[in-house]
Amino acid sequence: MRVPLGWLRDYVELPADPGAVAQMLALLGFPVASIETRPIITGVIAGRIAELGKHPNADRLQVGRIDVGDGAPLTIATAATNVAAGQTIAVATIGARLPQLTIERRKMRGLESEGMMISAEELALPAEWFEDGIMQFEESLRPGTDVVECFRLGEAVLDVEVTSNRVDAMSVIGLARELAAYQNVALRAPDLSNPGDGAGGPKAEVTIESPDCRRFVSQIFTSVKSGPSPAWMRIRLALAGQRPINRLVDISNYVMLETAQPLHFYDAAKIPNHHLIVRDARAGERFVALDGSEHELTPQALVIASETSAECLAGLMGARSSEVTGATRELILESANFSGPRIRRTAGQLGFRTEASSRHEKSLAPALTAVGAARAAQLLAQSGATPHEPAAFGPPLSAPEPIDFKISDVKRLLGYELDLQAITERLDGLGFKVEPQADSVLRVVSPAWRTDVTCSADVIEEIARMAGYDRISSEIPAVRAHDIASGDYRRERKAAATLAALGYREIVTYSLHGAHVYEKIRRAGLEPPVRPVEVQNPLSEDQRYLRHSLGPAMVTHLARANAPARAFEIGHIFYTEDRQPLETSMAFFAFSAEPHDEPEWRDSHFLRAKGDCEAFLRAMTGESHFETAADEREGFHPGKTGVVLMGGREIAVVGQVDPRLLRTFEAPLPIYACRMILSTLPPYDVPQFKPPSKFPSTYRDLALVCDIDLPAQRLENALRSAAGSWCTAVAAFDEYRGAQVPAGKKSIAIRLTLQKPDSTITDAEADAVIEKAVAALSSQFGVTLRA
Amino acid sequence: MHVDEHLEQLRARFEDALKNSAGASSLDAVRVAFLGRSGEVTALRRSIGKLPPAERPAAGQRINEAVEKMERALNDAQASAQALAVGASLSQRIDVTFPSIPPQQGSIHPMKRVMHDVCAYFERHGFAVVVGPEIEPDYYNFDALNIPPDHPAREGFDSFFLTPNLLLRPHTSPMQIRTMQQHRPPVAVVVPGTCYRRDAVDARHLYQFNQCEGLLVDEGVHMGHLKGMLTGMCREIFGSEQQVRFRPSYFPFTEPSAEVDTTCPLCRGAGGECRMCGGSGWIELGGAGMVHPNVLRNVDYDPEIYSGWAFGFGVERMALVRYDVDDIRRFFENDDAFLEQLA
Ligand SMILES: [Zn+2]
Repeated sequence: MRVPLGWLRDYVELPADPGAVAQMLALLGFPVASIETRPIITGVIAGRIAELGKHPNADRLQVGRIDVGDGAPLTIATAATNVAAGQTIAVATIGARLPQLTIERRKMRGLESEGMMISAEELALPAEWFEDGIMQFEESLRPGTDVVECFRLGEAVLDVEVTSNRVDAMSVIGLARELAAYQNVALRAPDLSNPGDGAGGPKAEVTIESPDCRRFVSQIFTSVKSGPSPAWMRIRLALAGQRPINRLVDISNYVMLETAQPLHFYDAAKIPNHHLIVRDARAGERFVALDGSEHELTPQALVIASETSAECLAGLMGARSSEVTGATRELILESANFSGPRIRRTAGQLGFRTEASSRHEKSLAPALTAVGAARAAQLLAQSGATPHEPAAFGPPLSAPEPIDFKISDVKRLLGYELDLQAITERLDGLGFKVEPQADSVLRVVSPAWRTDVTCSADVIEEIARMAGYDRISSEIPAVRAHDIASGDYRRERKAAATLAALGYREIVTYSLHGAHVYEKIRRAGLEPPVRPVEVQNPLSEDQRYLRHSLGPAMVTHLARANAPARAFEIGHIFYTEDRQPLETSMAFFAFSAEPHDEPEWRDSHFLRAKGDCEAFLRAMTGESHFETAADEREGFHPGKTGVVLMGGREIAVVGQVDPRLLRTFEAPLPIYACRMILSTLPPYDVPQFKPPSKFPSTYRDLALVCDIDLPAQRLENALRSAAGSWCTAVAAFDEYRGAQVPAGKKSIAIRLTLQKPDSTITDAEADAVIEKAVAALSSQFGVTLRA
Repeated sequence: MHVDEHLEQLRARFEDALKNSAGASSLDAVRVAFLGRSGEVTALRRSIGKLPPAERPAAGQRINEAVEKMERALNDAQASAQALAVGASLSQRIDVTFPSIPPQQGSIHPMKRVMHDVCAYFERHGFAVVVGPEIEPDYYNFDALNIPPDHPAREGFDSFFLTPNLLLRPHTSPMQIRTMQQHRPPVAVVVPGTCYRRDAVDARHLYQFNQCEGLLVDEGVHMGHLKGMLTGMCREIFGSEQQVRFRPSYFPFTEPSAEVDTTCPLCRGAGGECRMCGGSGWIELGGAGMVHPNVLRNVDYDPEIYSGWAFGFGVERMALVRYDVDDIRRFFENDDAFLEQLA
């Protein structure tokens, strides 16, 4: 909200420095987003055009003798055309400083000009909101008056942020009250009595048919004169960012900016029987707003109607049909209170927002209706209109609910003590009534304009704001023991630390993506997920779907690098089950690598990936031995993928990324990846130490010829169980396929390590074990020893 | 041939071999060839068997003497060879300024590192770290947090909806409710996690971001404890001189509420022309406050007995300030130069 500092100063004493005011507002909970300082303007005064005539040497120029109060009149030439004798105008005298220039004595076509008549733009006001040509003032402005000082044109404008609970402070008086209370000085509020009170006269009847209108003050004004507003009001509105329109519209805007209560004026001649009805709009009812926009309404909208048609979209904007114009002689004022949610929903539905609706939708206090009407009546009366008796409709105003709160709660919540007197003083300045009760309890009653204070914590915040949040000390609490576990988080953190230690770089990618991911999967000849989790209201098509895998983003990331790279990500993936969107936490690591020159039945990159996977799983589970089974998984190469098992349960998938996907994701290098569902990883099981035998071990290397499809892991397992308890390790270390073994066969080299717990193993004992083991393999798999 | 002659020839060959050997490894070869299990001396010893029994002891004696001499000679030669090798090694001079051979090293993402550091700080003070779902019903996101439907504050949480009442959480606060529903006080947790809001993306805003939430509820917990813990956290994350400032604010789920600022680490609070803080000397971290009594009631905690505080800060924002990053989008771009510099 743009708040001209000069306006605030009308109502409260403030420090000269705008920064100090902004700081105070910030500490009260109204941060100032920006301070717009005004350009330095000096030497501009009000002047009355005593005489005006043609310039002797130039057709396009006129020359005026300008009365500037004290001293001799000034002779000033101007090219402006909106000037006439008798006008009071803005004059920059010799030596005056304007934003763009300094006024000097100069000759205009041979005639000495003793200053310059200036426009609103030269006073740094928005030119398009003011008259073309020279800025005009009222006759009442005494010639010689310093214009900048009089209209506080040098005062900064603060852009104040008001939180949604403080709609009462979306107003100059509201903010002034806060500043007054904080500084413990008086609020100089304007006269808020209604000059129509007791005046009698015509009344506008209001029928309220909807409970969403909680209060409606109507008031009739006669002898209304239109025309432009006085300069002070036009300038003030312009500085506040509101375009001046005419005297009537300006008053309604001015009162809203000053009191927070939006108003609407109807041309009384357009309202039959001066009767207004607050009702739901009819389905399909057409409405042409003041700004010319056309709307087709639904019963969702609340309207204020005459007996024949809707004349105002409640809380949003009036209708063109009953708009006040230059011809308006009688008007009906509306100062009403509506249900905030109702106004917000209507505004949302119509895609239509106004200054008024931004206040109504935050639920104004119903008591403000009388305040807004009174202030408007004051200003209208000042402009010459005759106010008549205001009439209030709707349920009676309910008295604010008193809040009983314990003085000790101040210390309990804020950590410091305040006594009764300090508390009372602080609340008093904000308009709260405080009555001490028994047992150190205070009964606090909110002022009528506040609806946000409903419990003792709210009262404590008011006290804290006034005492200053800086009073809150810094203490480290002694946290008592509790039984809340950090397991899931620690697993994620350990997974990340382990993968980083294995040489992978952590990445973080977006969970939302567009259909292009599925397009790439489809172009690879694969099936995208059947029921992806879809966002109903994405900001763009690139954010429509929640990722079903960490794979696509990882492949995209690795594809971007031209060199081999290693990365991991830990994050959630999303899927649909029984129509429910679900999610799970995954770890995904991958590397890209230059292909090795290897036979097609071997891929040492895969073995490296598997090695990293096993090292990772060992760190996470404490287990050191894992089985792997060849399998097929979506997104992975059908012949280079294994599932890693622990206790027979799948805990990881490791393999080469499907080369068809690499093509559609434009990844130049093969990628090897491993994925794990973090929540299904077995918990860490602390390994137990078994003392190794003190006696030397021996080993035997065997070259075994077996069927080409027999996995090495099965040979190892069979050897281990056949070799018995002396066998401490079995590991395949080489493989051969080719002419030196029969067709359909391969040769696998395996090393068996043997060791006895109680004595040195002899050659003869070792040979006997081997013989037995080979015999077992031979009968199980038809394996022979290679010659 | 007599044993002595054999010995004499053997010794000559031994000395030749010794003379021709260079370095420790060839000395080992000489030892094996002459004194090893199947070396020349063993063969000579075997030949003693062919001598008349009376001569055998003397011959054995002479062989033993010769072996001793050979061993001494070998040991001497070995000692001087080693001395020579150490000498040679000592005279080596390399260029220590040549670039190192880097290890294959991974790294933790800078945003995650800030997250882990925040969590670690609170863990040290007795807080647990809990994580929760990113898809939450509106009850946990709003209603339970004292934001009923139609509340104007819902506008600040412009959310992505999956179904009419399931959405991607716009903050980590739902875990406050879940945790308090499952545990009685004391409750002391931090909640790191990914959140989503329908915000237009620019150098300071993301539609997906990470938040770190904190919650402490017990008897006697007050706002000074919040300030103390946040000051400690800021000192851990930004530097040992950090100060924390509270400004009044409004959140439906806390009362009193505060905006939390910390000293700008770049200008150390001096402000001026500082591009990080825009000259204010302060950096906004996020919202905090005392848990609203309605929120406590929603989880069946008695607000007359228990009090608590909560805060929620954006992790990318903290990382942006800590590492002086120019554009918040970098935290999701995973550019190699970015990750490498902040590894
Ligand atoms: Zn700074």
